[in-house]
Amino acid sequence: MEQLIQELKEHLIEELNLEEITPADIDAEAPLFGEGLGLDSIDALEIILILEKYYGVKLANSAEAKPVFYSVKTLAEYISANRK
Amino acid sequence: MRCFIERVVTNHDVTTDIKALIPDAGLRRRMSRVIKSAVSTAMETLGGVEGIASLDGIITATGWGCLADSERFLRNVIVDKEQLLNPTPFIQSTFNTVGGQIALLGHNHCYNVTYVNRSHSFEDALLDAMMRAEDGDSEHMLLGAFDEETPSQHRIMERMGAFRKVECGEGAMFAIVGAKRNERSIAEVTTLAFPTESLTRERVAELYATSEHARVIYNGYAEHGLFPTASALCFAEAVKLVADGTPEVVIYNEYFGATPTVIVVRCLA
Repeated sequence: MEQLIQELKEHLIEELNLEEITPADIDAEAPLFGEGLGLDSIDALEIILILEKYYGVKLANSAEAKPVFYSVKTLAEYISANRK
Repeated sequence: MRCFIERVVTNHDVTTDIKALIPDAGLRRRMSRVIKSAVSTAMETLGGVEGIASLDGIITATGWGCLADSERFLRNVIVDKEQLLNPTPFIQSTFNTVGGQIALLGHNHCYNVTYVNRSHSFEDALLDAMMRAEDGDSEHMLLGAFDEETPSQHRIMERMGAFRKVECGEGAMFAIVGAKRNERSIAEVTTLAFPTESLTRERVAELYATSEHARVIYNGYAEHGLFPTASALCFAEAVKLVADGTPEVVIYNEYFGATPTVIVVRCLA
């Protein structure tokens, strides 16, 4: 799980162009949206692409998006449980 | 029809740190090279984000638009077989991205138009600014132009023989344009013409110069590089010359045989 979290942080930094942020700066349990990294709805679309492109994981329904997208840790847990 | 120029800045004049010019990190991190260059030039012209509030017109011009984002989006379409397309380069590839980002930074909902008319883009934007000034629709406008060079575009145009005589170029220019002369005015635009035939340098001077000390900038591509809005950099050069004491500068622009344009910038009487 630790390795997956580290990898996810690296994908987020690269795909979302997070300036001057290193994986160590991202708290895996902090909220991704609003507070924490302060991501927005366009970033949510980018994260959906990261899940599909790198892990082959698709969100089954939009209702589960909110808890899954809460933090890097919840994303990693969802990937682990649904990765093909 | 005329308008008054208060300030001109090109991308080469920008010295302020981009983080100070574009403080919103969320907007900044999605900007490609040309958007960062154009928006930071605009912010330097306005003296920072606070300057946006006073504008009642944002008029931009570009011939090629945000090429790098357009190329990235099209490449993604091909490589990812029209699946999993990243939204950012699509959103940012539109020609009016720069005008929109300036408005977003200052939450200013004023008149905001982008002209995309090949080598006439800047001149058409200037014409709009002059008409709005004349009609009293806008008093204090931001007028700008930008274009970027990318490796693929350079390769294609080179194969077409576009750069046999001059190098390819890119750049951004922004100016504050006022409808009325004020204490900040440094020059005025008195003429904008679209001649129906090519003119020699001598003929341009004969037809449009009113001062024996007038300077003529005749197709400034050798100096600024070949790109559709290079005449905007000639315009900045002309305003600076006038501000430094040249009584009048006539800019002649003819790009790849397109209908020529003439802009006359004069010192304040």
